[in-house]
Order: sequence, then structure tokens, then C-alpha cells
Amino acid sequence: MSDFDQIIVGEEWDSSDLSLLETLDHVLNRGLVIAGEITISVADIDLIFIGLNVLVSSVETAHEVLRKRETE
Amino acid sequence: MKLYTYCFAESLNGLNNPPRGVSGAPVRLLKIDGIAVLASITNGFRPTQNDFIAHAAVVRSVFKQAKSILPFRFGQILTEPHLRNYVSRHRQAIKANFAHLRGCAEMNVRMIGTRENAPPPIVNTDKPVGPGTRFLLDKRREFRGDEWQAARRAELSEWFTEKLGQLKRDEKINVIPSDRIIIARADHLIERGRIPDYRAKMAGAIEERPEWRFMVSGPWPPYSFANIELEFGSQFGVS
Repeated sequence: MSDFDQIIVGEEWDSSDLSLLETLDHVLNRGLVIAGEITISVADIDLIFIGLNVLVSSVETAHEVLRKRETE
Repeated sequence: MKLYTYCFAESLNGLNNPPRGVSGAPVRLLKIDGIAVLASITNGFRPTQNDFIAHAAVVRSVFKQAKSILPFRFGQILTEPHLRNYVSRHRQAIKANFAHLRGCAEMNVRMIGTRENAPPPIVNTDKPVGPGTRFLLDKRREFRGDEWQAARRAELSEWFTEKLGQLKRDEKINVIPSDRIIIARADHLIERGRIPDYRAKMAGAIEERPEWRFMVSGPWPPYSFANIELEFGSQFGVS
């Protein structure tokens, strides 16, 4: 992932965390799907749980950022 | 024998220095009806963070060496006959998608903004209503929410077209409203050689909207443009 690049405007984020989140988002939520049912049977509940965690933390972080901006 | 699959690749006869795949397994190149498939032999595994990263690393490595690739979503394990059958049935669609994505990379824009112009409430929910009315009101609310999201997507697409012009070869936009904010994501298909132009134009566009927060990332392998939606989406409900 050495050529991963990004433009971030606003508060400081940890770029390594962002790179990992972006990578997880791509490999878990996107891409060609041939056999969805096999994905679930292999990955079991862990895969779904991890996917939800990424989404929930993203939304919470977004709310937190806006809260900070309003109190500034 | 089961295969953990990473991507389809166009015109690839070998892979230089491939990274290790999931569970540390070697990555193999199979040719099925002239289409290269990158895969590892597996008996199944419980995924860890390292496996997600390994999947991404293999796809990225192939992306750098092939003219065009279709990355798989994490977790696709197939028998070889199943894979051969899929390629044989979808060969033309795979080739058409290779042509669409050839020479291009995916760029992502994430946006967070304050929610404005939200759809107005339809009914005073303090009033008691029967189950039938409640059902119809919920459907109506859902429909209006969809309309609102479609309108926001259209606005964003128009804005990107104004700012990027012919740079974007393809685009997907998702809008997720919550109570107070909008989170939007745009995926753009950009020719690899024009990514510096894209970055410059996006940097200029971002400056024009200080009320929004942006993150632009890429270049990525074209994960968001890899699905063969017409032939597959309706069968399995893949988005």
C-alpha cells in the first residue's frame, strides 16, 4: 500500500488508521461477488461483525467531528 | 480442491514477485478460457486482519502488472469446477468489463456535510393511526427518503461533472443520511495517467465547499466497478 495517497481537509486523522479502514472497506464491501453464500459460510459471523464495526465507527466518528466543530 | 480467489486479470501470463496470499498461501495463476484467475489453494480459514491485508496486497500487485483486472470481494472460496463454470458462462461479460476498466484506476471521495433540505415530516406521529395507515405512511416515508437521496446523488453528480469534466470515465455515488449529517461517497473511474489532473481538480473543487469535509483516496484497483451487475445482481441480490 505504499502508493496509497490521500487528501485530508480539516482535523488531523491518523493516516495509517485511515489507510486500513479504506482497505477494509474495499475488500469487504466492494469487488466482484460470485458466491455470496460461500463467503458467509467461510467467514462466519466474524466477517459480518467486522464489517458492521467499520460502518458504526465511521458514523460515530463523523458525529463526533461535527460536535467538535459546533463547540469550537 | 477449493480455491480462494483474488481477481480476474486480462492478458496476464505470469506474475512477478507476488506477495503471499491469505493464510500465507502462495498465489497461483490459472488460465480459464483465456482469462487469468489469481487464486490460492485453501481448505477454509477464520479470517484475520492480516488476511484482509493479504487479499488487498495480492490484488494491488496484479493491478500494477495487468492491463485490466476485476477484483473479487474478500472471502470468495470456490471449487475449481464452479469457477470454470462461472467463467465459461460469463466470459463475454468479463471481457466487456475488462474493456471498460482497461487502463483505469478507482478514486474515492468521502464527504461529510450538515443535513439540509431534509424531506418534511409527512404526518404528526402523535396521532394514533391504524396498522394499515401506519404501513402506508411508512412506505410513503421510505419512498420520499429514496427520492431525497436520488436528488442528492443527482446534485453531487452534476457538481462532479462540472468540476471534473471528461476526467471521470464512470461514477457511482452513495448518499447516507443520518439525523444531522449526510455522509456521501463517490467512486470515480479515472485513467491512470490522468490521476494527477484528477487530484488537482478535486483539490480546487474542495476549496469551493468549505462547509463540507472531504477525503480523497486512491488510486485503488477498481473494486467498485468490478461487479457484473446485469447478469448476476438479480440472482443473488448483490449491490
